Amino acid sequence: MLIELLTKRYPGMRAWLSQRLTGLAMAIYSVLAVWRFFWLAPSDYQSWLAFFQPGWWRLATLLFWFALSLHAWLGIRDVFKDYVPNDTLRAVLLKGLVLLLWLYLAWASYLLLA
Amino acid sequence: MNQKLAKKNRPKNLNLLTIRLPINALVSILHRATGCALFLILPVILLLLQLSLSSPSNLDSVIAFLHSPFIKLVLMGLAWAFFHHFFAGIRHLAMDVHWMTSLMKARYTSKVVMVLGLFATLVVSIALWV
Repeated sequence: MLIELLTKRYPGMRAWLSQRLTGLAMAIYSVLAVWRFFWLAPSDYQSWLAFFQPGWWRLATLLFWFALSLHAWLGIRDVFKDYVPNDTLRAVLLKGLVLLLWLYLAWASYLLLA
Repeated sequence: MNQKLAKKNRPKNLNLLTIRLPINALVSILHRATGCALFLILPVILLLLQLSLSSPSNLDSVIAFLHSPFIKLVLMGLAWAFFHHFFAGIRHLAMDVHWMTSLMKARYTSKVVMVLGLFATLVVSIALWV
């Protein structure tokens, strides 16, 4: 049911629900990240590396960034829709936004997987 | 008067200073503004993360940079942006499942969101400066 609502057949619901689910995922990750930071209390370079060493944490962080990309796309897109009435300019801004978010995701992937 | 002219003569109020903003509206527009701020800071976060993980001396530089007084002020602002967006977002999720949707309850949760955001920022600020 939830999966079906995320398909292209329901574009409005897809956007609305994606924004909520990604927000929830990021909120959970954020709490986990703060907890983990205080738990491990990295104090030097080695312990800072160790913080990002476990594969599951890298994967969780990458998923966080993926959720962030979607969330930012939906949010900033709404901002452009509201405040940029010129169709041409808005189209350019939206393309730029997509490009930027893909670049950030590639960058984050490189940092976490390389 | 024809229809086009009537449309043209509609009153407009673009003076933001004369618009009264109830607490719910304030939390809402701040949710949007803080979201934009957090979006704008993304490349800086990635850059600092990359530098901090690249070598011990670069990590020291990043830490020194984050400890400069002006950057501490920026960090306080960003901490507030994060916390406000976080708590206002949770309020959104609650209202999506029909919790706290009456006007009085919504006003109450708006105040709670403002207070929690400012309180969390205060805690971070104390950790930053003391």
